Amino acid sequence: MDFIVPLFGRFHPILVHLPIGFLLFGVLMVFLSKEKDSGHSQSIQLAFFVGSVSAVLASISGFLQYHYEGFSWETVQFHLALGALTTVTGFYLTWDFRKTVNWTSFRWKSFSLLVLLLFTGHLGGNITHGEEYLTELLPDGLRRLLGDSTDAEQGLTLPESGWEDLKYYENVVQPILNSNCKSCHNPRNKKGELDLSTLEGLKKGGENGVVFHANDAEKSELFSRLVLPSDDDDHMPPKEKRQPQKEEIELIKLWLETGASFEGTLGEARPAVKLLDPFFERLEVPFYPQTELAEVSADSIAALKKMGFFVEPVHLGSALLKVSCLNFPDFEDADLSKLSSLGGNLAYLDLNDTQISGEILSQITAFPNLTVLKLNSTLIEGKDLATLQQSPNLKHLYLNGTQINPEDLAALESLPALEKVYAYDTPLSGNPAVKKFRFSLETGGYSLPPIPSDTIVY
Amino acid sequence: MKNLEKLFAELSVQKLQNQTRRHFLMDCVSKVGGLALAPLLFGCEPGTSAKAPTGLNLSERDLNPLAPLAPPFMGKAKSIIYLHMAGAPSQLELFDFKPELAKLHDQDCPESLLEGRKFAFIRGVPKMLGPQAKFSQHGESGAWVSDYLPHFSKVADEVAFLKAMHTDQFNHGPAQLFMQTGSPRLGRPSLGSWVTYGLGTENQNLPGFVVLTSGGKTPDAGKSVWGSGFLPSVYQGVQCRSKGDPVLYLEDPSGMSRDMKKNVISAINQVNKEDFEAFGDPEILARINQYEMAYRMQIEVPEVMNINDEPEHIHELYGTKPGEESFANNCLLARKLVEKGVRVVQLYDWGWDTHGTDHDGSIDMGLRNKCREIDRPMSALLLDLKQRGLLEETLVVWGGEFGRTPMQENREGKVQGFKGRDHHVDAFTMWVAGGGIKKGASYGITDDFGFSGVDERTSVHDLHATLLHLMGFDHEKFTYDFQGRPFRLTDVEGELIRKILA
Repeated sequence: MDFIVPLFGRFHPILVHLPIGFLLFGVLMVFLSKEKDSGHSQSIQLAFFVGSVSAVLASISGFLQYHYEGFSWETVQFHLALGALTTVTGFYLTWDFRKTVNWTSFRWKSFSLLVLLLFTGHLGGNITHGEEYLTELLPDGLRRLLGDSTDAEQGLTLPESGWEDLKYYENVVQPILNSNCKSCHNPRNKKGELDLSTLEGLKKGGENGVVFHANDAEKSELFSRLVLPSDDDDHMPPKEKRQPQKEEIELIKLWLETGASFEGTLGEARPAVKLLDPFFERLEVPFYPQTELAEVSADSIAALKKMGFFVEPVHLGSALLKVSCLNFPDFEDADLSKLSSLGGNLAYLDLNDTQISGEILSQITAFPNLTVLKLNSTLIEGKDLATLQQSPNLKHLYLNGTQINPEDLAALESLPALEKVYAYDTPLSGNPAVKKFRFSLETGGYSLPPIPSDTIVY
Repeated sequence: MKNLEKLFAELSVQKLQNQTRRHFLMDCVSKVGGLALAPLLFGCEPGTSAKAPTGLNLSERDLNPLAPLAPPFMGKAKSIIYLHMAGAPSQLELFDFKPELAKLHDQDCPESLLEGRKFAFIRGVPKMLGPQAKFSQHGESGAWVSDYLPHFSKVADEVAFLKAMHTDQFNHGPAQLFMQTGSPRLGRPSLGSWVTYGLGTENQNLPGFVVLTSGGKTPDAGKSVWGSGFLPSVYQGVQCRSKGDPVLYLEDPSGMSRDMKKNVISAINQVNKEDFEAFGDPEILARINQYEMAYRMQIEVPEVMNINDEPEHIHELYGTKPGEESFANNCLLARKLVEKGVRVVQLYDWGWDTHGTDHDGSIDMGLRNKCREIDRPMSALLLDLKQRGLLEETLVVWGGEFGRTPMQENREGKVQGFKGRDHHVDAFTMWVAGGGIKKGASYGITDDFGFSGVDERTSVHDLHATLLHLMGFDHEKFTYDFQGRPFRLTDVEGELIRKILA
């Protein structure tokens, strides 16, 4: 019959709801009653009494769960203390109700019971669901306001070169355990009495003993439980939790099979590069400026589309917009005012083959996040380029088929972000006067000179 | 009373007797029909399943199925030009240099290579066939390109090679379907259809997905290689001709003026509009839009499909001769179409099936002639896209549907009159260039005979996954609900080829 006591402990998550319901109901009745004898006194007394008795059951089962399920004292201490205090307060109010004469003060006492109840419940929820259960769904800004760190547990990352010299355990295995296992196997929350957050904890093992055996992955629960079918009760991580990537599992397996050394390097284990590839750190510089802008309303986008513009976000969910006059060949200088409301949201503007003149460029400064500007086959002139200097984010500038002269380009030299200028089919093409610039300049004019084999038919 | 009961009993017996096999079959037909109708009414019809990844504004898409959409992620490219060499060119004469194979020339193929293998035509023990081309390294990347492609060797630094591609189909039709639709069986949408469905098209006066063919024949797999499969048919490729009318019946018949056409269309649309007001079916709106688009296309298509106005140096670069159906003309058209905002341009060039059964199908002569036809145009295409800055935003893909064997083909166990190679699925070369591709990369290593990939092998699904990635999709999330389940271009496979990404 040994099982009865721990089993009762496991009823804690059900039992806790009884005092919450009864006591909450009692407090509600107190606040609905204008005075003590408003006809509800029996219900109030009953609610407080039954609530307090169930609170006793909840507290006992809670203590048993703490005792048998491997929770650490640090995790549960406040929850347990507040739970006990709630129970006592419940009984006190049951007793106090009968003799109280000052209804207002009793109402205040009931209110404090409510506060106790809420705190206890919240702490309990934190233990079961994790402390970030409520905050993780909030927008980043709000989370920072609440003092929450927004980056989740850093998973495994490896440098693309030099990974051979990293310690296999320290730089690979532990990070994998951190991102996949640690939330339930840490010193504060030791499920199965197993702590996977440190080397000592891993060596010590859990309630079933050691979890890894060098050179025998199949026998090591550290690996074998990961590859059980997901509906198996022993499968880890539990199927409702995020599952590790297949490469992570393979890396754990390889570590076990190559001796489960705490000192060896990753290179010695000779992993296939394919296994490491998903974890290589790739520094990707975002193409468009990173800004937090409000999205342009769907109505204004629809209105622009109606005028003939092509308008789309650069990708779904981005506030930055791509605008093209591909379907609006009659676009002229005055039409730019139609776009002026976009302001910082405009990141890509294609004015190819339109009727614009160079004067339009002075108004381009209204779009500080403009990154790509296409002016192919338009009547812009070289001297107008100087007015572009106020575009801090301009990276790609297309001037194909325009009358740009070599000396005009110097004005672009001061654009801080400019990377590429396309000036094919301009006076620049094949012009020896064009000097080197900080940005790369494409003037085109390629040819594939005829060669004898062009005409040989076999 | 009794008589009445008797009468009823007789009636029911009579009724049962009259219920013949024909009635039964008739019932079956109507009820099975009803079953078939049910999912059409309430199930996975395109309109409801479009929830997929595109997050599209349904009303806009209802009106115009080709309305442009933002990609789910920041794509590096916005259009694709796919050069498909139908018939499968020999990687061993073009890009995959195998000096060891030359040493085995004319010797019996080692048993180990043949064990458990099936070939399309090779029977028994064939002879090995050494490389027939001269190879050298080119550009800063040191890419191996043979003397069959002298012009291309000058632009080899622009592309990334996939040298250990593999497929699982050794017949042209299924292999072409696999390469273009991700499945060797009929019924799946082509790559171009998926992309057009997901992104729509920018130019509202042109089709979103254009197909151009050369080499005298269309691919063995037929038009299904640019079909839309279970996607709405508006996303299928529109085959245009580089000779004569670009689209058949594009011109108005003689005697029909543009104004009269306009009147006809507005009358039809008026009737349709009234229909829509009565029934509210968005399909009607789509139809109205199609009429209007067709009317606009009549102007824009002939304009963009006309290469006569291109300057002389461009004609020289591509080697184009206006008025003929050629790969060169198609390459130039591809550039023009992409420049005008067309989403996908698919080129098929027929005539690469070099078995060695005749002169045209010989590795040392016919293949060289085919190479000469594409060498200048495809190199010119890369250069022209580059000088206009279009290569930043365009993906160019080149390849066949499979590769060719390191063995000489010996159909019916006989030595062929010409040098030729059989179909080969284990290793072949493709290349990709343009937006988001690492220039000068080479990925994939084959064994000493070029028989199979030994490292960095890439499958057709891997290629598709990578192309979709560069267009701004997660190939695992880009799905379309059909027959009760979501479908993907990459089915349940496909991994990004990260090593060729810039």
